[in-house]
Amino acid sequence: MSADVSDLSLVRRVQGGDKGAFDALVRKYQHKLVKLVMRYVRNPAEAEDIAQEAFIKAYRALPQFRGDSAFYTWLYRIAINTAKNAVVSRDRSPIEYNIDRSSDAAEESYDMQGRMKDSETPEGLVLTDEIRRTVNAAIEALPEDLKTAIVLRELDGLSYEEIAAAMDCPVGTVRSRIFRAREAIDRRLREVFEGGLGRTEDLA
Amino acid sequence: MNEELDSQLSAMFDNELPASECELLARRLSRDEELKARWSRYAAISATIRAEGGARLNANLAVRVSEAITAEPTIDAKPVAAPVQPSRTAPRWWMPVGGVALAASVAAAAILFLRYESPVQQVAQTVPVTSATNQTLVARSVAPAVADSYTVPKTLPRRSIVPSTQLANYVVAHSEFSSPVNRRNLLSAFMASESGTAGTPSGSDEPTEDVTDDAKSPH
Repeated sequence: MSADVSDLSLVRRVQGGDKGAFDALVRKYQHKLVKLVMRYVRNPAEAEDIAQEAFIKAYRALPQFRGDSAFYTWLYRIAINTAKNAVVSRDRSPIEYNIDRSSDAAEESYDMQGRMKDSETPEGLVLTDEIRRTVNAAIEALPEDLKTAIVLRELDGLSYEEIAAAMDCPVGTVRSRIFRAREAIDRRLREVFEGGLGRTEDLA
Repeated sequence: MNEELDSQLSAMFDNELPASECELLARRLSRDEELKARWSRYAAISATIRAEGGARLNANLAVRVSEAITAEPTIDAKPVAAPVQPSRTAPRWWMPVGGVALAASVAAAAILFLRYESPVQQVAQTVPVTSATNQTLVARSVAPAVADSYTVPKTLPRRSIVPSTQLANYVVAHSEFSSPVNRRNLLSAFMASESGTAGTPSGSDEPTEDVTDDAKSPH
């Protein structure tokens, strides 16, 4: 099975004029893309702006996407170029901060910048921390076979087939274990939002 | 919500759903808000496990992108599937003109080829014009050259200015029995036969190698 078949089915829908399918791609890759951009800028808000710009560029260029490479690989290149251009246009090099500072001091500076931006939305910061705590707690509470399956998938990036070989079980069992793990975590996550800390659509 | 549908969604998130199921689910995912919200939570779970902490998990990036995309014109072009053949975009009137040009090129190449080949044939044709006394000898020496010309690659025959020692000895040995005119004709005949044998398949592997190379070359 092609590693990109699911993304490609969404891409084909976008190419056919379905903007909702592009929304699904954005929801799937937004975190990954922001993390990628943060190699170039340490401010999360700025990284989100650049990621947004990269997504829009990708949407405009999507008619030229042929599917020769994986969608995320293609998106990755667009994001990298957008981030580099943003850094250059703002006359700000990522290593500029290291001048006359120790690396620890520079890291502290980045963190301060990020937190200052985050402080503009304190409820967002609380929610993010709550989400992380909930997910981590839910993973710890999982039965061992479900936890192993989801970790091998998400953390180690193994395919279902590779996980099946590692856990000595059929691929269908792997798919079921990963799904049940996600459901268990998602159930806890929904409680967080329904408990008043936020709304589910905020995750969009 | 249907558990089978959620299971499919989970597999699709991992790019592990068969293509046939993907198409239907992709269509539903692009329209079903509840399914999209679940899809978003799967992404948040994934980001948390992978410690993609740089991203704020509650960031409304997708909403912002969606708003921006709404203002964009809808993509209605067909995806670029493969490079377009130039002949499909060319006007129809080019097709007969192109055919005539191709035929003219082939004809010109054939004429050039024939003109290139003609010196060999002229040399061969001069041989039977020699005197009657030498015709048998000339025919014997020329015949293999003519026969070889069907199997040997066409090459411009090299005319040896000085005949080989064996031929020179032959001419000298028989010169006393012939008139000066015949000696000259005989010498010409030997030179012609020498040029005719110049193309004998001494390196017969060469064409074979060419064919092998052609077979190996991708088409």
